[in-house]
Amino acid sequence: MSDVNLKEWSQARHLRPRASPLMRMLVVATIALIGVGVTPFFIDAYSVNVLVRSMIYASIALSVDILWGYLGVLTFGQSAFFAAGAYVTALIFTYQGFSAELAFAALVIGIAVAVAMAGLVAFLAFWHGATDLYASVITLVLPIVVTQLLFSGGTFTGSSSGLTGFETVPLSIEAWFWVVGAWLVILTSAAWLYTRSDAGQLLVAIRENEQRCQYLGLNTSNIKAVIFLICASIGAIAGWMYANYTMVVAPEIAGFVFGTELLIWVALGGRGTLFGPVIGTLIIDYASAHLQGDFPFIWKLVIGVIFVSVIVALPRGLLPVASSSLNWLRSLVIKAQPKERTPMQLRQASERSSTAANEGGGAALVVSGVEKRFGSLKVLSGIDFEATYGEIVSLVGPNGAGKTTLMTCIADGLKRSGGTISVAGVDIGHRPPNQCVRLGVGRKFQMANVFDTLTVGECLQIARARLDGLSKWHKSGICNLPQSALHIIRATGLDNDLDVPAQVLSHGKKQALELAMVLALEPKVILLDEPTAGLTKAERTLIGTILTELAKTEQLCILLVEHDLDFVREISSRVIVLHQGRIVLNGSVDEVVNSELVKSVYAGSGH
Amino acid sequence: MTETVLALKGLTTGYGQAPVVRDVDLTIDRGEILAVVGKNGMGKTTLLKSIMGYLPKFSGTVSLSGQSVSDGKPHQIARLGVAYIPQEKALFQDLTVEENIRLALRGSADWNEARETISRCFPFLLDRLRQKAGTLSGGEQKMLLMTRSLAVGAKVLLIDEITEGLQPSVISNLVKIIQAERDRLGLAVLLVEQNLSFTCAVSDRYVLLDKGEISGSGNTRDQDTHAKILAHISL
Amino acid sequence: MIATILDIITTAAILYIVASGLLLVFGVMKLINFAHGGLMTLGGYAAVIATAIGVNPWIGIPLAAIFGAIVGLGMERIVVRSLYNRPLDAILATWGLSIIIGQIITLVFDRGVHFAEPPIRGVVSLLGESYSTYRLVLTVLALLLGLGLTLILKGTSLGLSTRAVIMNEDLARGLGINSGLVRTVTFTLGSGLAAVAGALITPLSSVYPDMGTAWLISAFMLVLVSGSSLYSLAIASVVLGGAQVIVSGYFGAVLGGMTIAALAAVILRIRPQGFSYE
Repeated sequence: MSDVNLKEWSQARHLRPRASPLMRMLVVATIALIGVGVTPFFIDAYSVNVLVRSMIYASIALSVDILWGYLGVLTFGQSAFFAAGAYVTALIFTYQGFSAELAFAALVIGIAVAVAMAGLVAFLAFWHGATDLYASVITLVLPIVVTQLLFSGGTFTGSSSGLTGFETVPLSIEAWFWVVGAWLVILTSAAWLYTRSDAGQLLVAIRENEQRCQYLGLNTSNIKAVIFLICASIGAIAGWMYANYTMVVAPEIAGFVFGTELLIWVALGGRGTLFGPVIGTLIIDYASAHLQGDFPFIWKLVIGVIFVSVIVALPRGLLPVASSSLNWLRSLVIKAQPKERTPMQLRQASERSSTAANEGGGAALVVSGVEKRFGSLKVLSGIDFEATYGEIVSLVGPNGAGKTTLMTCIADGLKRSGGTISVAGVDIGHRPPNQCVRLGVGRKFQMANVFDTLTVGECLQIARARLDGLSKWHKSGICNLPQSALHIIRATGLDNDLDVPAQVLSHGKKQALELAMVLALEPKVILLDEPTAGLTKAERTLIGTILTELAKTEQLCILLVEHDLDFVREISSRVIVLHQGRIVLNGSVDEVVNSELVKSVYAGSGH
Repeated sequence: MTETVLALKGLTTGYGQAPVVRDVDLTIDRGEILAVVGKNGMGKTTLLKSIMGYLPKFSGTVSLSGQSVSDGKPHQIARLGVAYIPQEKALFQDLTVEENIRLALRGSADWNEARETISRCFPFLLDRLRQKAGTLSGGEQKMLLMTRSLAVGAKVLLIDEITEGLQPSVISNLVKIIQAERDRLGLAVLLVEQNLSFTCAVSDRYVLLDKGEISGSGNTRDQDTHAKILAHISL
Repeated sequence: MIATILDIITTAAILYIVASGLLLVFGVMKLINFAHGGLMTLGGYAAVIATAIGVNPWIGIPLAAIFGAIVGLGMERIVVRSLYNRPLDAILATWGLSIIIGQIITLVFDRGVHFAEPPIRGVVSLLGESYSTYRLVLTVLALLLGLGLTLILKGTSLGLSTRAVIMNEDLARGLGINSGLVRTVTFTLGSGLAAVAGALITPLSSVYPDMGTAWLISAFMLVLVSGSSLYSLAIASVVLGGAQVIVSGYFGAVLGGMTIAALAAVILRIRPQGFSYE
């Protein structure tokens, strides 16, 4: 089934010739700038006037798209940052008068206020364990609080009628059109470059599978917070332009309703497409201005109906539909050329000095007195064992014995209820997963846990992000991997699939990819939860051979949960039998195989 | 004259796109108890979940008394007379014993008949009807599960590892009840088990599931069955 | 003092009435119905219609229930059903539905403020205070509503099925419960309750096409801190409603208006399960 997907996909990807992304971007941006330059000469003053406002809105819609479409944070609160920029400007001009210096100060202070508010929101909304819904709730509370504060500001903020009549940057409407238009083009281009860079793929990775990112050693809460602050600044800049241009601010611009209106524009245009939200905002706001006079209520009703239909039937918005139908039309006319693209290059990463620690001879993993309770239910108690470098230790036991729970406790310092765990001689304390990775823990999950919409190469790059960093402005096309990861990639033939989205891989290849991602972290201890589940006999043998080699050549400490006992017998140097949350036996394969106790555990008559 | 109640033909199923159970053929007759044995992770639970309609069937069919239920949803299959006892989270812990049983009664099924079943099988539950199910001991919870499945008048029982964590005396009581009710009602029972002594005591036939495929079968009454199966499922 | 306590009690009662429908939907379907505000507006206009045709103002309440239930049933069938696995999209789509309801109301009536005849006017003397009779009646109604919902959930077979779906939907399906039907019924009931709440608050707030939005946020935050329990909702209504009354008293109604949202956000940060005891 997935082989068929693979074939279809590789046929589809040869449809369209493509110049280098940077060149294309420059060409499009230049055309757009020329467009901005000449438009005021061809349309009437009213339309110019409306479009300036539409473009300001489009710039903030763009920031909503980055947050929602790429990072997966559904935000209702961008309006609050917009209002921060606008109100700071209006207040300064109202109470201090206008000057060029003050205008600049207003911009800086506006951004600072927005960033401070965003910092508070990020502190509340993005922490290890916070849900998507909770983050959205916080962004919903923000505009409500800000609106009420503006209302309660009395004459200082103008309360419900806002501020008006202040002097602003003296530009003609046409000049504003050029300023705002150029800003929008530059902003969109920068966002386009960023989201298509290696670092931009990281946003998608976090949206798709934040947990996997954390277990790749990435502090996703921080990354989200930084993006959120940047988007707040974009909002504040838009607010500054708005106050300067319209010369009026009112509490509605801070509100939840405006915040959701931004979401509507983004959803209709196409979340995660950048151009969609920009074009969507321009069209809808421009059309609103023209139609609202004649059909005020019908127009909003129509927008509501289209919005609901798009969310239900076309969750990706209208731009993808438009562009795919355009492509289809084009494919009728022109025969597509196979596109030239340079596939991702894999290189061997330079050896790190971390192997020195391995030769120290101490235990790689020491677990002592670990217990785990869920309320009154004890899942693990009194777990004590050590494992050294170069060892493959298998954890076996009936369902519910606590094997996966034990793995989780080793990979996430926040999870155990008692006891200590140290990795390469360092106590993991209460470190979250991303910091446990820094100590040398690599974890592979039971169900293949990769980034479905990213390509194989991109998945590997994300896995290397902690060690190598990611380019923020282009696709480097290079991924450095340690020998062990390269070996798996080559042995399983994944090196031919580097440009293939991970979701079309076969089950076995997905498992191999995840293993390679874990090895790319250059771990000292790797935790494998059922690496052979759902694999064919041949794949099982291959994985077994690779693991044995890894333990020997890389001196890795491998801890394995496995149900396939033949597999355990073949590769383990030691077996730990867990039963009802306790270790019942810790010994060599032979000792365990011949143990009457273990037999009775498996036959179910031991208790 | 035997009557096939549950029949699987070429059933392949699993999670997402990955097949866990491949090409399984099985039939169970009225009044028959069949055990599916095999190591952990070989697809036994997956098999039950798929029969019950929780998991999509990639290919193959499931039929009940000759009627295909391959596309049935869980509640439809339950209403056709299949009672499923999952291994975990099988009771509503915050509901009372009575509510847990009443929930499963559909339409014509009558509380008075359910009471009769309780007093016949596990009369101690009658005194604890108003107690929260979560406050019962592990063994009592399993007995409640058994009662619930019997009270709904099911034709087929699917039982997933009911003996886990139970004392031998409770297990032998379960064996007695399952067999007695099978004789009385002509139940067809499909059970998934790790506990060999229970399996051998309660069932008529077994099939071995190995990596999602049936790799053997036999009569549980044979002398050497216990040893044969043990060889397969232990290290 | 007495007046403040009465304010807290009656405010909590009103919040309870407003949020209970949303809570039912959240509990069973695990999604937030952002059309709740729009449905409340619809209920408010049902009261306006009752006034306009000159019937007893109490008739507005069942009328609102019917409007809300019919619209809710339609929304569940056409839109909400396909979004069960996309909870964030469900928030947006139901918000869109709310816009649609608001615009249709605007088209039928207009943008202006309408008034509905209150079912009861005047004040009664209670513990030496003269206090609005209607607010006291609402408190009684909130108690009856809580009691009624509890009776339905605890006493009827549909209620039992609903609780089972809330606790463990997969298990409930395996026992033969048609969880899809339970969802439809719950959404319809929740929508009906929203509209009833909208009609009940008309004597306290004017009726206009956007009247539900302010209430939506309060109800939403209350539900988030209450989980899916009607008891927790009662506690949350008293605590957060009480805070709102006190803040309004000392710092003015404007800051009082953000108390519930801000406090709920902080509570959830400290204790993600809010007031529910699980």
